[in-house]
Amino acid sequence: MTLSILIWLPLAIAVVAGQLPARITGRLAAAGSLVTLGIAISFLARFKLSHPGLQFVTDQVWISALGIHYKLGLDGLNVSLVVLGCLLFSAMWGTGERVRATTKLVVYTLVGSFFMLAGAIATGALASSQHGTPLTFALSSLQHLPLSHGSQEWIFLAFAAAFLVKMPLIPFHGWLADGYKSMPIPAVAVFSGILSKVAAYGFLRIVLPLFPFATVHFQLLMLLICLVSILWSTSVAFTTPDARLVVAYSSVAQLSFITLGIFSLRSQGAQGALLQMLNHGLVTAPLFFIVAALAARAGGSEKLSDMGGIAFRAPVLASLFLIVAFATLAMPGSSNFIGEFLILLGVFRAKLAISVIAFLGVVGAAFYALRVFIGAMHNRPRPRVASRGIGISDFIPMGALALVILVFAFYPQFGLKRSEPTVNATVSSVVPPRAIVASPVTPAAR
Amino acid sequence: MTATTFAWLVLLCPLVGTVVIALGWNRWPGRSAGWIGTAAIAAAFGCAVVTLVSIRTRAPEHRELSSTLWNYAVTSGLDAKMQILVDPLSVFMITVVSGVSALIHLYSVTYMQSDRGLHRYFAYLNFFVLSMLLLVLAGNFVILIIGWAFVGAASYLLISFWYRRSTATRAGLKAFVINVVGDVGLVLGTFFIFKHTGTVDFLKVFALTPHVFGHDSTDLVVACLLLGVGAFAKSAQVPLHTWLPDAMEGPTPVSALIHAATMVTAGVYLIVRMHPLFEQAPTAADVTAIGGGLTLTVAATIALVVTDLKRVIAYSTMSQIGYMIMGASVGAYSAAMFHLMTHAFFKALLFMAAGSLIGAMAGVQSLDRMGGFRRVLPFTFVSFMVGGLALTGLPPFSGWLSKDDILAFLDHRGGGFEILGVLGYLGAFLTGLYTFRMIFRAFWGEPVEEARELEHGHLAHADVPRNPMTGEEEDTDIGFPGPGHYIAEREMPMKVAMGVLAVLALIGGLIQIPGVDLGIERFLSTTFADSHLVRSEPSTASSWVGLAIGAGAALIAITIAYRVWVAEPGTATRVRERLPALYTFLANKWYFDEAIDFLIVRPALTVGRLAGSVLERTVIEGLLTGGAVGAVRVGSAAVRRWQTGFVRYYAAAMLICLSGVALYFLISS
Repeated sequence: MTLSILIWLPLAIAVVAGQLPARITGRLAAAGSLVTLGIAISFLARFKLSHPGLQFVTDQVWISALGIHYKLGLDGLNVSLVVLGCLLFSAMWGTGERVRATTKLVVYTLVGSFFMLAGAIATGALASSQHGTPLTFALSSLQHLPLSHGSQEWIFLAFAAAFLVKMPLIPFHGWLADGYKSMPIPAVAVFSGILSKVAAYGFLRIVLPLFPFATVHFQLLMLLICLVSILWSTSVAFTTPDARLVVAYSSVAQLSFITLGIFSLRSQGAQGALLQMLNHGLVTAPLFFIVAALAARAGGSEKLSDMGGIAFRAPVLASLFLIVAFATLAMPGSSNFIGEFLILLGVFRAKLAISVIAFLGVVGAAFYALRVFIGAMHNRPRPRVASRGIGISDFIPMGALALVILVFAFYPQFGLKRSEPTVNATVSSVVPPRAIVASPVTPAAR
Repeated sequence: MTATTFAWLVLLCPLVGTVVIALGWNRWPGRSAGWIGTAAIAAAFGCAVVTLVSIRTRAPEHRELSSTLWNYAVTSGLDAKMQILVDPLSVFMITVVSGVSALIHLYSVTYMQSDRGLHRYFAYLNFFVLSMLLLVLAGNFVILIIGWAFVGAASYLLISFWYRRSTATRAGLKAFVINVVGDVGLVLGTFFIFKHTGTVDFLKVFALTPHVFGHDSTDLVVACLLLGVGAFAKSAQVPLHTWLPDAMEGPTPVSALIHAATMVTAGVYLIVRMHPLFEQAPTAADVTAIGGGLTLTVAATIALVVTDLKRVIAYSTMSQIGYMIMGASVGAYSAAMFHLMTHAFFKALLFMAAGSLIGAMAGVQSLDRMGGFRRVLPFTFVSFMVGGLALTGLPPFSGWLSKDDILAFLDHRGGGFEILGVLGYLGAFLTGLYTFRMIFRAFWGEPVEEARELEHGHLAHADVPRNPMTGEEEDTDIGFPGPGHYIAEREMPMKVAMGVLAVLALIGGLIQIPGVDLGIERFLSTTFADSHLVRSEPSTASSWVGLAIGAGAALIAITIAYRVWVAEPGTATRVRERLPALYTFLANKWYFDEAIDFLIVRPALTVGRLAGSVLERTVIEGLLTGGAVGAVRVGSAAVRRWQTGFVRYYAAAMLICLSGVALYFLISS
């Protein structure tokens, strides 16, 4: 079984399901996503731990004139993310609403993608002209063809712009509020739980290995952007009246922590960032579902001031919310804590002052996470609140994700052990600055 | 089976209890959840005793056992394993914690029986005990931090247990956030230690400390101060103490368990556990010692004017923990642990007796409304008296031996620490004063209406339940206190729990008497074998001098209290009128709340509001988004203008472009 099945099976099901009556579509989609999840888990089970390079590689020529290959593979960086993606898609079975994107979102993503496309073309073209080799876009080949410092710098900025918009980090988040508010909840959950991570993954997969000089050069800038982003999003989450936006801004804060960990350029920071990518998906998706469940009990309003006292008749919902809220604020004992611990430890060793200031974000998270929990669940019920327990179809996805959170809390090593060899290889391609000046980088030095 | 196996079982019991109660939340009938919870903790106590016995059979130098179950987060040099450290100190702690917890669970079974959230209550309470045991058994910094944060979370959940009271949810949030500040201190402190030692394992860190850190080196002092922040937040020491009085919003047994006997003493445990680090960083140890001394005086003065019964006891807890922190910081480790134990006994007892008294008052907590309960609540009165006398430190009660053990060490150590010792004796005097102010006001004087009704066998019940802090009307559904009120005189489980604790508060001090037997010191000596401070113990004679001074201070205080509140009632009012400024200052609790609000809370919220409104709207919406969208719009408008439809323009444009390209290649080739 090759990796292609993970990509083409959902697409095939989507094409087929679209032709069928609505009632069957939902079931088929649910079954399809569960099968995909099963296949993904089977890859996870067969994944070899000590191997830093790609496994299960599929490699075929696509456009030979331009040196473009159709190449897939799993390694420590992406294996857990693939499973997470399948898990989250399975978790939102049965809820199918059309996604309406706003102009802002389209413009932002378009501009971001444009930067990225330009950066990608430039990388391939410049690598071949600077080294006199045939044109290629394969990451594994480009790793051995380092660009000149000047080219690395501007291409780094192009990629960074694309990724920072995608996540988004402050101040590149102009689309966030409108975009998140106009989308239906399952779309928001996918957007925030999975797509935002593509950008963080991009930093690890593309930027660090291909532009090591620029990475070191812009490290401080990136760390400062992350720091500002953490503090800003945390303080907005303090006061914003909208429950969905609190979750959105908390997501921004967590992504800022993830990027902070990557740009600590220490293996602890990168390991923490990778673990936190998993954790972030595991908490953000259920948080958005919970916001939907809360709104359904507060007369359709997502304003915290219209909620309150919902725990009263919905103890199961309240318990799930509590577990997810504690994980979101990275309470020690959750896997999120280990993620943040490693991230901050990495930053601590790289730039002590930034790490100390970033801790303000940790305290702030405790406040805003509990602010939403208390505001929605506790105190006296507001006039429009009609609390009721959650039905089985709402419980299964949220309960399953909460269960995964709890299992991870007991054993975060599960998320760490697969990625360690690859992360160490990635980070060590950047960190010894002498190694990146001229000679080709050996990706699997260990 | 070995000692470590039983130590793991100590953790397993409350975990199973929590899960069983939580999963059966809608199935356990009546009070059965309470009995399950009590049984789980009693089983944990049993395992703790077995651990204690089995570790005592080993030779003293083989009493430090480390045990690992699985790799928790082992990556990139970090060695965080699921690991416990079983040594005399941790075994001492688990025995005290699980024992007192079992009694408080027993008390709760009847005290909380009419509450509609009974299952939730016992699930939380079991979870708390699990967390506390994890904290004291932790074998490395990461597990310690987990236990540390879990007790904070359990404390939050139980403070805001009556979650439809806005006073309770606000108090819970405050407690949680201050505790997270402490957690951050602990994590940062761990970073500093890890930076030099490269490990989080306690035993390895302690072994490496003398080699990798210089004496009083900056990084170690900073690390210890950060650990101190954690300790001060958890143990409610100035200035991180403001959450503890508010935490009295929780049910009374919670106050007894978490906010008196166990969790708040975690800071003391932390400093004692980290003694190899603190001894290497005397500057940090001095800071925490002074902080403890400050707290014990500040809290005692506030306790003199507060009228809420539970809050008086809460300030008293702060003050007593101040003694322990002081002792732990100067090297009186076994004395601090001794006082921790006796304090757990008598303070839990005081809270339980207060709960019984509040039950008789139908939920009213104000001392202003109480009086004359001596005859109608004989059992509660005797228990309160025993607890109060032990707290005051009158011979032969347990608090006398343990508190003065700390003060004798301070005087003996010298080098300026005598000043803290004097502060301690002043605190002992104030303790006697506020304790007997409580006792005389609640149990002496003219019986109030509730007491008179009880004399006719009728327990007071409020027609409309009200929140004692706000006077707001409540109902008795989920999220509010249940309708029932219970007194120890009528409920066997409450009586048993209080009786056992009363006996312990009376005789618990006898295991460590200077010149007779130093039981605790002898048992803990393995843990403190590496300390150079404990080797200089005060002599038996000077210990007895200290004991005599302490007893004298307590006696004088009780005499004065008797004159002020019984013999010549109205004296207190006259003093208050004579010194209005001092009274206002104390009644406002030294304005700590206001200062924190002004310096931290308000600025943070203002920044948040500013970021949310002004910055988001003008900078992001206006400049960045507006800029990008505007650029696209202007660009597309510009391109649109070229689409004229005239072929001659298109041809001209094509020509210009082609010549441009041709020119480029001509020049570049």
